[in-house]
Amino acid sequence: MMPTVEKFQYDNAIVQKFALATVIFGVVGMLVGLLIALQLVFPSLNFGLPYTTFGRLRPLHTNAVIFAFVGNGIFMGVYYSLQRLLKTPMYSKFLSNVHFWGWQAIILAAAITLPLGITSSHEYAELEWPIDIAIALVWIVFGINLMGTITRRRENHLYVAIWFYIATWATVTLLHVCNNLVIPVSLFKSYPVFAGVQDALVQWWYGHNAVAFFLTTPYLGMMYYFLPNAANRPVYSYRLSIIHFWALIFIYIWAGPHHLLYTSLPDWAQSLGMVFSLMLIAPSWGGMLNGLLTLRGAWDRVRQDPILKFMVVAVTAYGMSTFEGPMMSIKSFNAITHYTDWTIAHVHVGALGWNGMLTFGVLYWLMPRLYNTQLYSVKLANVHFWLGTLGILFYAIPLYWGGVTQQLMWKQFTPEGFLKYGNFLETVTQIIPMYATRAFGGFLFFAGLFVMIYNLLRTVRSGQLQATETAEAPPRQVHVAHTGEYWHRWLERRSVLLTTLAVVAVAIGGLVEIVPMMWVESNVPKIATVQPYTPLELQGRDLYIREGCMGCHSQMIRPFRSETERYGEFSKSGEFIYDRPFLWGSKRTGPDLHRQGGKYPDSWHYNHLLDPESMSPGSIMPPYPWLITDDLDISDTEAKIRVLQQLGTPSPAGFAQRANEDLREQAAQIVKNLRQDGIKGEALEQKEIIALIAYLQRLGTDIKKMDRPSASN
Amino acid sequence: MYKYLLQSVENIHNLAIVPLLVFFLFFLGVFIWALRSSRSYVQHMEQLPLERDPVATTVKTTGHE
Repeated sequence: MMPTVEKFQYDNAIVQKFALATVIFGVVGMLVGLLIALQLVFPSLNFGLPYTTFGRLRPLHTNAVIFAFVGNGIFMGVYYSLQRLLKTPMYSKFLSNVHFWGWQAIILAAAITLPLGITSSHEYAELEWPIDIAIALVWIVFGINLMGTITRRRENHLYVAIWFYIATWATVTLLHVCNNLVIPVSLFKSYPVFAGVQDALVQWWYGHNAVAFFLTTPYLGMMYYFLPNAANRPVYSYRLSIIHFWALIFIYIWAGPHHLLYTSLPDWAQSLGMVFSLMLIAPSWGGMLNGLLTLRGAWDRVRQDPILKFMVVAVTAYGMSTFEGPMMSIKSFNAITHYTDWTIAHVHVGALGWNGMLTFGVLYWLMPRLYNTQLYSVKLANVHFWLGTLGILFYAIPLYWGGVTQQLMWKQFTPEGFLKYGNFLETVTQIIPMYATRAFGGFLFFAGLFVMIYNLLRTVRSGQLQATETAEAPPRQVHVAHTGEYWHRWLERRSVLLTTLAVVAVAIGGLVEIVPMMWVESNVPKIATVQPYTPLELQGRDLYIREGCMGCHSQMIRPFRSETERYGEFSKSGEFIYDRPFLWGSKRTGPDLHRQGGKYPDSWHYNHLLDPESMSPGSIMPPYPWLITDDLDISDTEAKIRVLQQLGTPSPAGFAQRANEDLREQAAQIVKNLRQDGIKGEALEQKEIIALIAYLQRLGTDIKKMDRPSASN
Repeated sequence: MYKYLLQSVENIHNLAIVPLLVFFLFFLGVFIWALRSSRSYVQHMEQLPLERDPVATTVKTTGHE
């Protein structure tokens, strides 16, 4: 007997909204990216303003691209495909809209706070705690809408794309909460509950999995939906997609420590991260091949169809970067690539190639459908395709070249045993032409975006938005178990159980790595001479965070001769126990600063921050004149000390109240040093720069007070 | 460092073997699951993203641009 057919309406309006936001924030994110790329070639483009310096704009760029451009792209793809795969409208139109506007409000909050220097400094989790709470709320709204839709479905089986969406939702929830555990000092400032090595591990467990579960799994779900549709043929192997899914989410979560190779992180965690990263090649390439082989027998169409071209380049870029990632996780290879522009090239093959090109392919496929029309110009789409593809090549190749060049220069010794390029700046000026070429590549990619916008605008004008789309399907059949059925079918009909299992799969990796790290504090012998920061240094450290110094300067000297020669004793885990947050950094556009303390006189820092070129001709570091004119805000010193005390930083009773006295005394001493060197300027004691100098002069000096020069790690 | 952790937890060796077994059995399970899926099930799943076009009534059903 044929069941009755029900009529219902898909909500296309929400898809159109997310598509529009995707395009708008694509422009914003890439524009900021282009600007900061040019700042490295022309430092005057920092404009001498606090809000437009590289250190503050870099997190704006990364957040805009990841959470605004790709984020809206994810929701566009999910809201379109979920309804159709489940043959039902979204659970709640109201929640869909709350989700949309809530997410845009968060983006707006990020766009305001990041240039103001309000940041937690955790990469890709920079937003401060009130915004983190808002993110959690909006994410829960999305989750309710997602799961609600699944429970109301008319299709018994959940297609693999939906598994990827579920895993995305569950894991991002877990990651977001764990990496943003902080204690607020004020509305715009907080300190993380973890310090030093632990903070670093939690951050990169998050950071790596933000790539995995925000930039990868939802886009894989989209690949499994939109690629077969664009190619008009089923996925190459559904069986492979099952293995792809479970293997990927199971292994991905373990790989985080590969961001911390050769650091003070314990060796066992480094090895674990490296091994799991290597294993990741298998599921990643399984997924890539599944995507590419879907086009078997249709390659003639790839030649003619720009949508398929975009998708082929996207999936190929996914394959390239997921091969490159595991290679970069091999310790000896990482020793060459880490801290250099190789990493930047690597992430952009992923961001521009995988996320960017797939988003464009989906938009070209989707927009004509939403507006019930044809794409305005296939020719322009082809132009965009070539601008995008060439843009990626011009972006990535110079940076690979520049990265290796710079690292080899860092490591080059003369026959006499001295560093050949003892001045770090030489290794920077050498690769500026590469930076210029990279900016050109970024410009090409950016220009392509506008070709797309014009094409889509003309497309949209030729049609009319189909805000709802009528569809029909029989109601969901009450399932009757029959012989020959396997347990997995039972499983995937139960979406809640599937979600739980996905969480368990990812949680095991997190637990095994992170829980032992929490024991470290009680297991590692502390270094006796390592003391908490003074109030002035603490304020200086928070200025260092505000200005985003960690975007270009690491504080982690690896145990290589080339690094100990250049910077001094390698960094020990015991040195970071009072670092909330940790500031190891991940890129050396400038030199490492961990042993900066005492290296130069106070006046050197004063002059250098006022005008870096006066001390280091040819430097591309932006000047920071406002540090000299602006008074240090000491109203929160007491609150800061109290929060740190709560977190276990030792200080004598009543110290919080006396903190500002202590601060003024130390400031007076620094000003005295500056005056001796002929620095003029009124009321120097109250200026921000004094705190920053205090912090820089403290960096890495504690272990020098020990009798023996080195401590065991 | 590693030794230190080992000493601090009793039977840490079992802790290392258990995840290995869990992994192995899990992947074995996934492989069996995937390989033994029936042909009709796989065909149904493969067609899921594609079959919306004949159903939808207001959007053109002719492939792509």
